Amino acid sequence: MIRSLLAGPAAGTGSDRTWGGIRTATTWGAAVGMISAACLALTAGLVDLTAGGGDTPVLLMAGGLAGVASSLLVARVNRPDRIRPSEVLSGATTALVSMVLCVAGLYLLTGAAGQPDDALFEATSGVTTTALSVLDPSSFGRGLLLVRAGSQWFGGLGALVLAVVILPFQGRGGEFADRSGRDGRIPLAPNQRVALRNIFALYVPLSLVIWLAYTLAGSGCFDSLLLAMATVSTGGFTGPGNLLADGETRWVAVVGMILSGTSIVVLWRLVVGRGRGLLRSRELRSYLSILIVATGLFLAWSGPMEGVDLREALFTVSSAITTTGFPSDPMGEWSAALPVLLLLLVAIGPMTGSAGGGFQILRLRILLNSATREMVRQLHPRVVARVRLGGRVAEESTVRQATVVQFVFVAVLFTTALVVATLGLDMAAALSASVHAVSTAGPVRALDGSILDPSGWPRPSRMALLPAMVSGRLFLYPAAVTGGTLLIELGNQLRLRRRWRRWRARGTR
Amino acid sequence: MAGPRDQMSAIQSRWATTTGHVAGLALLFVAAGMGLGTLVELLDGTDGGAMAGATAITAGIGLLLWRSTRPGRLDHATVFTAVGGTWLIVSVLGALPYLLAGTFDRPGIGLPVVIADALFESVSGYSASGSTVFGSHNPIAAQGTGLLLYRQLTQWIGGMGIVVLVVTVLPSVRAAGLGLIDAEAPGAGVDRLAPRVADTARRFWLLYLGLTILVAVGLLAAGMGPFDAVAHSLTTISTGGFSTRDASIGHWDSLAIELVIMLGLVIGAANFTLHARSLGTRRPLHQRDPEFRGYLGVLGVGTILATLMLCADGYGPATALRNGAFNVVTLGTSGGFGNATTRGGPGDFASWPAGPQVLLLFLLVFGGCTGSTSGGVKVMRLRIGAAHAYRTLRSIRRPRAILPVRFGNMVVADHLVERVAGFVVVYGMFLVGGTLVVAALGSDLLTALSGVASALGNMGPALNQAGPTASFVDGYSSPGRMVLALLMLVGRLEIFPMLLMVVAPYRAIQRHAPGRRPDRWWRRFPR
Repeated sequence: MIRSLLAGPAAGTGSDRTWGGIRTATTWGAAVGMISAACLALTAGLVDLTAGGGDTPVLLMAGGLAGVASSLLVARVNRPDRIRPSEVLSGATTALVSMVLCVAGLYLLTGAAGQPDDALFEATSGVTTTALSVLDPSSFGRGLLLVRAGSQWFGGLGALVLAVVILPFQGRGGEFADRSGRDGRIPLAPNQRVALRNIFALYVPLSLVIWLAYTLAGSGCFDSLLLAMATVSTGGFTGPGNLLADGETRWVAVVGMILSGTSIVVLWRLVVGRGRGLLRSRELRSYLSILIVATGLFLAWSGPMEGVDLREALFTVSSAITTTGFPSDPMGEWSAALPVLLLLLVAIGPMTGSAGGGFQILRLRILLNSATREMVRQLHPRVVARVRLGGRVAEESTVRQATVVQFVFVAVLFTTALVVATLGLDMAAALSASVHAVSTAGPVRALDGSILDPSGWPRPSRMALLPAMVSGRLFLYPAAVTGGTLLIELGNQLRLRRRWRRWRARGTR
Repeated sequence: MAGPRDQMSAIQSRWATTTGHVAGLALLFVAAGMGLGTLVELLDGTDGGAMAGATAITAGIGLLLWRSTRPGRLDHATVFTAVGGTWLIVSVLGALPYLLAGTFDRPGIGLPVVIADALFESVSGYSASGSTVFGSHNPIAAQGTGLLLYRQLTQWIGGMGIVVLVVTVLPSVRAAGLGLIDAEAPGAGVDRLAPRVADTARRFWLLYLGLTILVAVGLLAAGMGPFDAVAHSLTTISTGGFSTRDASIGHWDSLAIELVIMLGLVIGAANFTLHARSLGTRRPLHQRDPEFRGYLGVLGVGTILATLMLCADGYGPATALRNGAFNVVTLGTSGGFGNATTRGGPGDFASWPAGPQVLLLFLLVFGGCTGSTSGGVKVMRLRIGAAHAYRTLRSIRRPRAILPVRFGNMVVADHLVERVAGFVVVYGMFLVGGTLVVAALGSDLLTALSGVASALGNMGPALNQAGPTASFVDGYSSPGRMVLALLMLVGRLEIFPMLLMVVAPYRAIQRHAPGRRPDRWWRRFPR
């Protein structure tokens, strides 16, 4: 593959040889990741220059190099005969991984991280919007702080692109892509190009609005930018110091998190003026109901704790359910049920089609409805029953996908917990950390509610969380499809069967 | 034509009479078990008044219910109601010996807690779970032999299934017996060993009895006393886990006894149809069954992993292998025995490092084979789930391919795959919801999660504060134990019968209630 890249499109046989779909997809994916990292590094370099920081040369040079490399990749890529959905998903996975590697490189080159595994962990945590940090941001210049927050912003954007532009058009969940222009409404995603444009048209202004709101609430301009990037991407990295100490800032954070956890389809309809009847969306009603009930339970179970009021309860609950992960230290003594409640909220996650992680509410509703269908079938074995969502009959492929995601979610969770526990973390922390990693949420709490610091965990345990974070950010099954596709392609490349037959044929002569 | 109210009354009457009829006969079997306990107490010279009283009351109620009722038309709703109702009634009345003997009476403990503990122990027995509220505060060794024998018998009866027992003798339900048996264990898909259902049920019970006798002989040969050997054989083949000793199998600290117990558990957690067919053809058919192979594979891999992890933690290879194998087998088969000789010793898995404990937590969910006495999700369902996931992921790569779900050489129909998926979803919801409720009632995350997993899977011990050397009184509040008891019943009946017992009447009311449902409030918003 590298020889083909360097030689150009006429490699190998001398004829106009097209590339395989997997090769094209992964190359494009790598290019997208590098371009994103390049933009981030160049912007951070310029900001660092204006602030008089010491990381400017490194950031600008690294950004430039990444940009040149990605341009070379894009220029050399040949269009394939055809590209399969599995290959597109592999490309998305490659984009995420390449961005992680580029951001990790930035941390290492600037000296922010002394060890490669720390840089890799921080970069993965940022790009996957997980908010588990091992580095101390108080020593960072503005450029690096922007890299940290920007990696989350790009990660959130990538999650939306995957959820709305890629997945629905690759044969899974297409019926929920908001394609139809019925009832006179303007659809969000009539095709992939328009969907991509509309996502940018929503995500960027939303970031700016939240930035403005934080500034008006009293935070400094740069601090507000960091908070806004962390909020809109549901990432959770804040800057040095306690930027969310102020009450008004926390209210802005609550509203921002709730909006970021809402499906982009709902936000789109609000923006294009078709907000009436939004409450008919059962997913939105479920999301708001969970938020209200969980806040009530939080208040009930926190009892007479000093400093716990509606704002604090809403802040902690919305931080958990949107998988943002803004930290809030427990005041007083938490009851045993509160960490369990927050862990459950993290696992459930926000609405589908948002930047949040977790299992997500629509999938949960699909599972509930399919379980109800099975109960009806137990009573009436010959009944023809369909799973309905939002008044429409869901396709069986969508129902199947949801059950498979559940299976993969549990499998990844248990495998990660087993490996992390074996590599040195205690059982409660291992289970909790695994749930948070797969759901791309932070922070991890102990049984008493106190926040655990990942920098104190054994290094092998931290590394074991990275695949779970990457899988979780990719909504699980693209990562599984990528793993399978790469294994198959590797097998094809090695051509084991042919070699085996040739060896046998030689042996029989 | 009868109006909706009359139809509803007829349906409710049918449910009540059918449940009463089946439960009545089940109670007679339970009373027989109590009677056996009474006999042992009398022979032992201890005061058998409480056991005799419980026997009389249970037999009286059972006789009254059986003779005064007739089963109606056995549609699916009636079957699920009858099965769920029978198990509830048996579990409640099964607590009578503990209550009348004052087993859980302690100074400073109120009557509600005493009743709750008795109910918990009864449910744990009949559901073949093995979780116990006996402990250092109330040792098992201080109880009478008759009561202990009854306690062991509860697991033996519940292991194969009370309803299966009823079907063998109840002529009026024989025609629908297959439905009743299938409702007691919905995932199993009962194989007929004989043309008549009653004969099939009888053969299962005879096989069960034969295997129990074999295990008893094995334990006697390994060095256990006669009473202990019989008592432990009852709870080994039923994969229940109750012991007549506070330290469970650890009391003997004998490798031979542990090996016999492990073998008995592996047999008890395998498909009894396989055992029966192997006996019929006089050659083992187990190696051909993909589920059995998968089940042995899980136990084997689990043992290897646990052994390696314990060795890495500083245990000697022999100790690691012995304790790793025993605890993996006992939890993987939902047995629930313990081989810890002391708290914190190598057999006390609650003191193991985190890695093997996570492995055991996984095994709490896994379970044995379908058609066995074990609990859990069951190997077949998990394999079908994994095959379904693999098929769906492959179909992304090849969207136009027709890819069936295979289990061994067999193609699994889509409706069965959907049923398995639905079961796993509901199981997961009970696991998560149960953990939240038990945590809200005072337990920490690990204790709550492992307790709920253990209860749903009818495993026995849990982790953290409810480990093999602890009692469920230590880790859970009284209301928490009641929630766990309910979950044990739900898990024993494999969820759907208990759920449908609640849902079916609601649906019937919906269908037959006069008037229409009111508009949902959100439909009033204009588009």
